[in-house]
Amino acid sequence: MPLLELSNIRKDFGGLRAVDDVSLQIPEGAIIGLIGPNGSGKSTLINLIAGSEALTAGRIIFAGDDISDFTPDAVYNSGIARGYQEPSLYFKMTVLDNVLLPVKEQRGEQPWHAPRWSSWQGEEAAQAERAMEVLEQVQLVGHYDTLAADLSGGQMKLLEIARALMGKPRLLLLDEPTAGVAPKLAYEIFQQIARLREDYGITFLIVEHRLEILFDFVDTVYVMHLGNLLAQGAPADIAEDATLREVYFGD
Amino acid sequence: MINIDIGATAVAILTLFGIYSLMAISLNLEYGVAGVPNFGQALFVSIGAYTAGVTYTRILPLLAGLESVHPCGPTMGQALQLRSEIMAAQPVAGFINLALTFVIAAILAGAVGFAVSYVTLRLKEEWFLALVLLVGGETVRIVVRGADDLICSHNGISGMAQPFYFLGDARGSSLLFMLLALALALIAYLYSQRLVHSPFGRMLKGLRENEDVTRGLGKGISLARAQIMLIGSAIAAVGGVLFALNTGFVNTNDYVVTLTLDIWVMVVLGGIGNNRGALLGAALIAILDRFTQVGAIALNMSNSPIEFNYVRFIAFGLILLLMLRYRPGGLLPESPLTTNAHDVARRLRG
Repeated sequence: MPLLELSNIRKDFGGLRAVDDVSLQIPEGAIIGLIGPNGSGKSTLINLIAGSEALTAGRIIFAGDDISDFTPDAVYNSGIARGYQEPSLYFKMTVLDNVLLPVKEQRGEQPWHAPRWSSWQGEEAAQAERAMEVLEQVQLVGHYDTLAADLSGGQMKLLEIARALMGKPRLLLLDEPTAGVAPKLAYEIFQQIARLREDYGITFLIVEHRLEILFDFVDTVYVMHLGNLLAQGAPADIAEDATLREVYFGD
Repeated sequence: MINIDIGATAVAILTLFGIYSLMAISLNLEYGVAGVPNFGQALFVSIGAYTAGVTYTRILPLLAGLESVHPCGPTMGQALQLRSEIMAAQPVAGFINLALTFVIAAILAGAVGFAVSYVTLRLKEEWFLALVLLVGGETVRIVVRGADDLICSHNGISGMAQPFYFLGDARGSSLLFMLLALALALIAYLYSQRLVHSPFGRMLKGLRENEDVTRGLGKGISLARAQIMLIGSAIAAVGGVLFALNTGFVNTNDYVVTLTLDIWVMVVLGGIGNNRGALLGAALIAILDRFTQVGAIALNMSNSPIEFNYVRFIAFGLILLLMLRYRPGGLLPESPLTTNAHDVARRLRG
């Protein structure tokens, strides 16, 4: 059984069909690349899976459950976390608070428990230790009390991944995880992604424009064009495909 | 020439400080921490005041074992005399009535805050809530003023004796009332500090900073906002009860949009998102308030053509503008640290 299965999903924005009858299956533990020119519907596809946009038609099955009508919070709680194209951190909070916020079912989040510190401080301490481990993995542990706004562009991207990890997702949707990041750091971000797959078996669906890096790390590449899935295949095959080159690279 | 009684002035300012603190803490929780733009603070304060107007005329006599007299119309004077007599002779009934007033006011205002935010925050734009509350507050005020029986329409309810009136000593009774206001403000402050420095507070700040992301991280944002509106509105209503008892009467004219604006000035001036800032803002406005009142009387007595009360609005408007321009975080900006997590992290790092 695939971890994520999209069946004939469609999204219309008024008269514009942003995603047209897309079906795909993602096996657990895979790193999947999603590429295509600007406006091809990649980000919309991510938004549809994450629940931030409502489907016009089609079904989304995740781990055997139909999540087609889920709101973003329900999608997250079912095990799908996401990153954003724009840096979307809590800039006025510390790095540590950024990763602690998404922890699921925190006792101290209930307003009647919140003022009674003793009722949740133990749990919070345990989560803080876990958060420090996650930050260690993305090499941000030394910055735990830095405000997110004071991080570099690359560190922000890493923090976003760390934040998504705190909810123990099975599937992580990343929309251009290396946008605006220096090439060397961009490569490191992908190494990080590969390591997370190794260590935790997390499945990734990654929208990325830097194909030279992406192709080194993904198992399968899907190519979108004008809302359709144009092709899928191993990175090497996709890179060789002549029609794709024409559509995507314009040569 | 006016003589200023320093002691009485200090008591008056400190009482006002306690009352304003409750209102500012309420708005700080809602807007400062959670980013909910409540432009209907006057509504929630007024719910407290109207509740007091009703309990002091309907429930107090029953608690004293007497028959209540209709507070409006021809029996108005008789009803006033009745409640003054009860407050003077039966302190226990007075205190039970006060406690009931606080509880009923808090529950009513909390329920209204919860319901209003739950309905309107599901709209796309959170500023709809600001508009709904701004207009809703004024609508409720006009409806209450039009209702002849509730708090006697535009006449209001006067002669609302303070709970320590039975002492028969005006100074002592004001002093104790001041202590009551300060004690309630302190409780509200400690409670809201505990609330802000908790995972709940962190989630609320997350809502304020980025609603979509917070939703995408699994948080039920409509509920969280309704919850903080419930808490904030209940605190505002407690402030409203004290406000009515402090002035001694309940009149719809006191709960106009300018009261809402005053509370906003306190929060913006003191520090958005910082409970200590809310206290500082409340203190500064309480002092300013008192001085503008004294100034108004002084100007009146000197037959000056200037109406000093408008100076107050000009001053508050200026404060708001200057703060937003030069110190948008307020005099005491919020500090980023929450919960005990950072202590744990610090210990781990050695």
